Amino acid sequence: MSPHVEHLSIPGRVLLDRRGFLSNSATALGSIALTNLLGLDGLLAANGPVIDPARPYAPRQPHFSAKAKNVVVIFCAGAVSQLETWDYKPELIKWDNKPLPGGPAVTFQGPAGNLARPQYAFRPRGQTGKWVSDMIPHLAELTDDFAFVHSLTSKSNTHGPAENFLSTGFNLDGFPSLGAWVTYALGSESQELPSYVAIPDPRGVPQNGANNWGPGFLPAAFQGTTMSSKSPVRHLTAPGVSANADQAARSLLQKMNARHLEEHPGDQKLAARIASYELAARMQLSVPEINDLSTEPAHILKLYGADDTQNADKAAFAKNCILARRLIERGVRFVQLFNGAYASGGKLNWDGHSDLKGQYDVHASILDQPAAALIRDLKQRGLLQDTLVVWCTEFGRMPFFQKGAKGRDHNPDGFTCWMTGAGVRPGVSHGECDELGQKAVKDIHPLYDFNATILHLLGLDHERLTFEHNGFQRRLTNVEGHVIREMLA
Amino acid sequence: MPFPLWISALITVSAIAAPVDFVRDVRPIFQHHCYSCHGEKKQKSGLRLDIKSLAFKGGDKHAPDIIASKPKDSPLIHFITTDDEDKLMPPKGKLSSTEIGTLTAWINEGAAWPDGVDLAKLEDRRDHWSFKPLPRRGAFQAPSAVENRRSLDAFIDAKLKEKGLTMSPEADPISWLRRVTFDLTGLPPTPEEVAEFLKHKDHAAVVERLLTSPRYGERWAQHWLDVVRYADTHGFEVNTERPNAWPYRDYVINAFNNDTPYDRFIKEQLIGDAMGQDAATGFLVTASVLLPGQIGKDDQSKRLARQDSIDEIVVNIGQTFLGLSIGCARCHDHKFDPITAKDYYAMQAFVAGVEYGDRDLRTPEAEVARAEAARLKPRLAEIDKELARFVPLVKSGAERPMINARENADRFAPTKAKRVRFTIKATNNLEPCIDELEVFNTSGENVALATAGTLRKSGGDIGVAERHELRFINDGRYGNGRSWMASEIGKGWVELEFTKEQTIERIVWGRDREGKFADRLAIDYQIEIGDNAGRWHNVADASDRQTFDPKNKKLVKPTLNGLSSDEAKRAKPLMQEKADIEAKIRAAENEQKVFAGTFRAPDEIHLLNRGDPEQPKEPVTPAVLSALADLNLPKESVEQVRRKTLAEWIASPQNPLTARVMVNRIWQGHFGSGLVPTPSDFGHLGVKPSHPELLDWLAAEFIRSGWSVKHMHRLIVLSTTYRQSSMSNAIAADKDADVRYLWCFPSHRLEAESIRDSMLAVSGQLNLKMQGRGFNLFDQRGGLSGFDPIETFTPDNQRRMIYAHKVRREPETVFGAFDCPDAGQSTAIRRASTTPIQALNLFNSRFTLTQAEAFASRVIKEVGNDPAKQITRAYQLAFSRAPTREELAETEIIIKQHGLVTLCRALFNSNEFLFVP
Repeated sequence: MSPHVEHLSIPGRVLLDRRGFLSNSATALGSIALTNLLGLDGLLAANGPVIDPARPYAPRQPHFSAKAKNVVVIFCAGAVSQLETWDYKPELIKWDNKPLPGGPAVTFQGPAGNLARPQYAFRPRGQTGKWVSDMIPHLAELTDDFAFVHSLTSKSNTHGPAENFLSTGFNLDGFPSLGAWVTYALGSESQELPSYVAIPDPRGVPQNGANNWGPGFLPAAFQGTTMSSKSPVRHLTAPGVSANADQAARSLLQKMNARHLEEHPGDQKLAARIASYELAARMQLSVPEINDLSTEPAHILKLYGADDTQNADKAAFAKNCILARRLIERGVRFVQLFNGAYASGGKLNWDGHSDLKGQYDVHASILDQPAAALIRDLKQRGLLQDTLVVWCTEFGRMPFFQKGAKGRDHNPDGFTCWMTGAGVRPGVSHGECDELGQKAVKDIHPLYDFNATILHLLGLDHERLTFEHNGFQRRLTNVEGHVIREMLA
Repeated sequence: MPFPLWISALITVSAIAAPVDFVRDVRPIFQHHCYSCHGEKKQKSGLRLDIKSLAFKGGDKHAPDIIASKPKDSPLIHFITTDDEDKLMPPKGKLSSTEIGTLTAWINEGAAWPDGVDLAKLEDRRDHWSFKPLPRRGAFQAPSAVENRRSLDAFIDAKLKEKGLTMSPEADPISWLRRVTFDLTGLPPTPEEVAEFLKHKDHAAVVERLLTSPRYGERWAQHWLDVVRYADTHGFEVNTERPNAWPYRDYVINAFNNDTPYDRFIKEQLIGDAMGQDAATGFLVTASVLLPGQIGKDDQSKRLARQDSIDEIVVNIGQTFLGLSIGCARCHDHKFDPITAKDYYAMQAFVAGVEYGDRDLRTPEAEVARAEAARLKPRLAEIDKELARFVPLVKSGAERPMINARENADRFAPTKAKRVRFTIKATNNLEPCIDELEVFNTSGENVALATAGTLRKSGGDIGVAERHELRFINDGRYGNGRSWMASEIGKGWVELEFTKEQTIERIVWGRDREGKFADRLAIDYQIEIGDNAGRWHNVADASDRQTFDPKNKKLVKPTLNGLSSDEAKRAKPLMQEKADIEAKIRAAENEQKVFAGTFRAPDEIHLLNRGDPEQPKEPVTPAVLSALADLNLPKESVEQVRRKTLAEWIASPQNPLTARVMVNRIWQGHFGSGLVPTPSDFGHLGVKPSHPELLDWLAAEFIRSGWSVKHMHRLIVLSTTYRQSSMSNAIAADKDADVRYLWCFPSHRLEAESIRDSMLAVSGQLNLKMQGRGFNLFDQRGGLSGFDPIETFTPDNQRRMIYAHKVRREPETVFGAFDCPDAGQSTAIRRASTTPIQALNLFNSRFTLTQAEAFASRVIKEVGNDPAKQITRAYQLAFSRAPTREELAETEIIIKQHGLVTLCRALFNSNEFLFVP
């Protein structure tokens, strides 16, 4: 202990010089305890990581060797119909406009109507011949690389609890989100950007808002930071303060804190706060830079559709997709990219209750090309080798229309999500719903399993990644969860 | 399907071998292959195979596990023989066919497992320190028998001695004063308070001053609200405002300020409706809850929502008062504590009649106001009816009120009409929606009603059964749930045809007269009238209305514009009377509601298999945790008796947990960590107390003092332990880095609210107005999205942060990053993160810059323009001390160049300001 006491009185900027910090950490900060703190001596500690207060985002080792280092989650809010996208049910064509024998009289929003055929044409794609709808032609071209699970189930048929369940593993409010768990476990390769970035849809935040990227009871350090191509991180600069005055305040603060630390030698909490100001100063430079898409060449803007002058929402979402790639390029651990906003009768997200086809034409035109371009771009840059891309939605939709409407009601009993990229077995379609697509019948997987699989790909055992809260060793997967091995390469 | 191989193997084995012996043949297989996951250390899927009773009971999902004489039906055999690789046990590789044969034969022969052969012993889970009664007073072996105040230190000293440590020297007086002031009030001492203390060094006087300050309750209520996850919105997707939650927040503040005995505080929160404390039962319904409109129309959704909402109440009671994770037993018996699933549902039965909702707040003043409001309401209805005839005429030359989502009227000269057509030409967003179209004839009758035979048609509808249908346009019922929606975005028309020609003069329409929805509003429209001859003409449109402005959410007030002088003369007094009455009713109603639950006949509660409402088992009746007491009620017990019984059991001095849990929370509030560092878990998974005798002594002292929380504060903050310096010490830190044994005072960062409140106090802007409806942090008080922060600062939003309208899950823009709880789940202890986002927020936000400017102005006002005086005063306000000569010198240069505000901004960000010394 004694050797590092004097070193801790070094002002924070030295503490934080990344290269110096890592190379000197064994000597400058000396103690074995701190090596443990940083997880440098091996794998993640048995019951969760130990966080160095001076460097909460420091990279930490997983439980076991990981296939994926980073994650992009494309989160389609409002519940995308599996029947119009990835899960082809030709039987529905035969049954179009006929009642479902023995079907429910009432579902989430009210009385059930007749069965309805898929609202888009399907055709086989690529080497695997996977049937995918014409609604999403760009993504459809990539399905040889995807691993689908068609038999997911949710615990709730209400958007709020169900988005909680997808994002946190619990229906209730206040549990840590997937991204918070991942960055809590692994930190980030980037020290100059937030470790976890949530990018809301240009049309608005998703249902349940901040709970999708909240830290729950984990330390606030692991909360997702929101930014998008439209709105940068808050409080990056002080409005109305000249650069000179800003610098003067900063250097005065440094002097005050350095002196105070000298008077309180050995107090790590004080050193950590000093360090946080140095990190913040770096973010002030790196965040505007990452959001500056002017350095992107025209062909990239075109690839994503960011140059689309006819469809402003698409162009804005495309810019968010480019931002996601840039964040991954710079080592940000977890990027959550939202497509779809809050409840609006299906107008602003995928909640197609009343006029599904009309609304999905609009939503698909925003999602398809940019999301496909993101995957292509990650691949052509070699980033997909280390990056897991997840496409998900909170539940599916019913095979029948709602009475008196041309849309489908909520269906938590069988729906589709997919993954691609690092560690994912390409071209897999796992699990099945019944022939009308109402319920998962083969290889049924509650969303716990999907989340367990994401953690597994990151080298994390979902049963060992825990945090003590009010008498529970809490996990992302509660007391459930099995890795879906069929999706793994 | 042919017999699997193993069955034939079994037949062979059992045919030739002697009967299977459990100890000789079976247990070794279990030991070798199963115990590592299903033994003493781990019980995966809830299964334990090294103890007879538990092995037969089975796991969470497959119980019983072993069915004597029926190997084919026994899950144990299924899992060791299945072809499903994911489910096969053991997962590392299938048992040999001989081993499978042995186990199968053993079950087939009756699964004989002799008693008394188990090598492991089932631990008695009731044998746990926190479940044992408190030692009786007098039984304490305090290390040195001295007076109370010192005995606390004696316990600490004894433990330090045991660990080879000693207390640190006393902190300097300023550090102690800042520490105790922050601890008890969440604010720094003023320079005058510092001077006073330095003069007299009267610690006890300071503590009395702080404990009698109303600031004390504002600080300590926050700790309580963290635990019960208080918020002013309902949570979940819609996160709607919960407008009457705040009386509970004020109740908690008052309870701390009044030093309400803790046993009474518990009872009031569970059964305040019977104790003249209506607001107190806000405790029961602090959780997020789905509103009726968010719950699915299917019965399964309704059952799950109800179960979730009762669960939150039980969880809250268990962790808050008892420090137990009772909720863990919702799906299966608690893995570590003696709480069975049946215990859990028996606890549900105590609160099975509680609904989330507003209740009348029955204070004597509110009763008077409510009687008055009830008397006034019929008169208001009369006035409305009369006034409806005096809305300004269309195209009278005067500007008519802006369109609003609730209700709009178009009045014109009496006109003969067979048909009325309402055409929407623009909306604020989406497809237009109208909840009711009313047409009044000169006799004041609504002739549009379907019941009058009026027909309707439209240019296209979006139908959502029982919510949006064309027939709801004239069904005489209001609200979004009975409304008409057009099929196209931004336009549409609807037409009414009367049974006979009418002379009409007024048309009234709205988006949602219940006031919940303001989207889909027609902001440009025209009204045409068709006569018997089929000729159409325009009678009204939006052109003479005030331009629509979505930000203006206030209801339009009736005006006299556009009325004839005679009409104006008649309308004016009516309008005045209406305004008066409305204000009276509003005031009365605001005061008399509290979101504190409503009570009804209790639901019948069943034990639920795996917590699934679709799998009810036997009914259960109210009973307290069976491991702690034998206290239960018959099923016919009425609602209030149930809560009363529970409250009395929890608040009893005999309850081993209640006092221990609370004194530990108090200790944590002072030292940052409790004697038990897991404040809401006193069960087996919780951490054992560092000083068990001290905890018991404090608990007994708490009860003896009449459950006085303030008494405990005095004991603690005047102790030598608390008065130690916080200076670190390498040798001691090496032995006890976490300072669990309190060899010094553990300094810690201020919490979010204290930082904000302290900045306001130092800048001179803190508004000490107490209580009432919360001020806004965001541009809206609830809802689906938005929550843009308010960044202009007024006296109202410069009140203490506990009075902010707390939007669940939405972190406050600047201070949320300082580990401010989001009120989703209970926060029994706040983490103290350090992140660059905090630094950005505190260094650059408008809040900081505004307060830095206010701070600088205050200093200049108080001491004038001399830089040295300014710096000195700023240091005294922020740090409770004068600057050193060196500090003065280096700061003077900076403020001469960049202004005093630069110093103020740095002070707010400094560690000396942000840490409790």
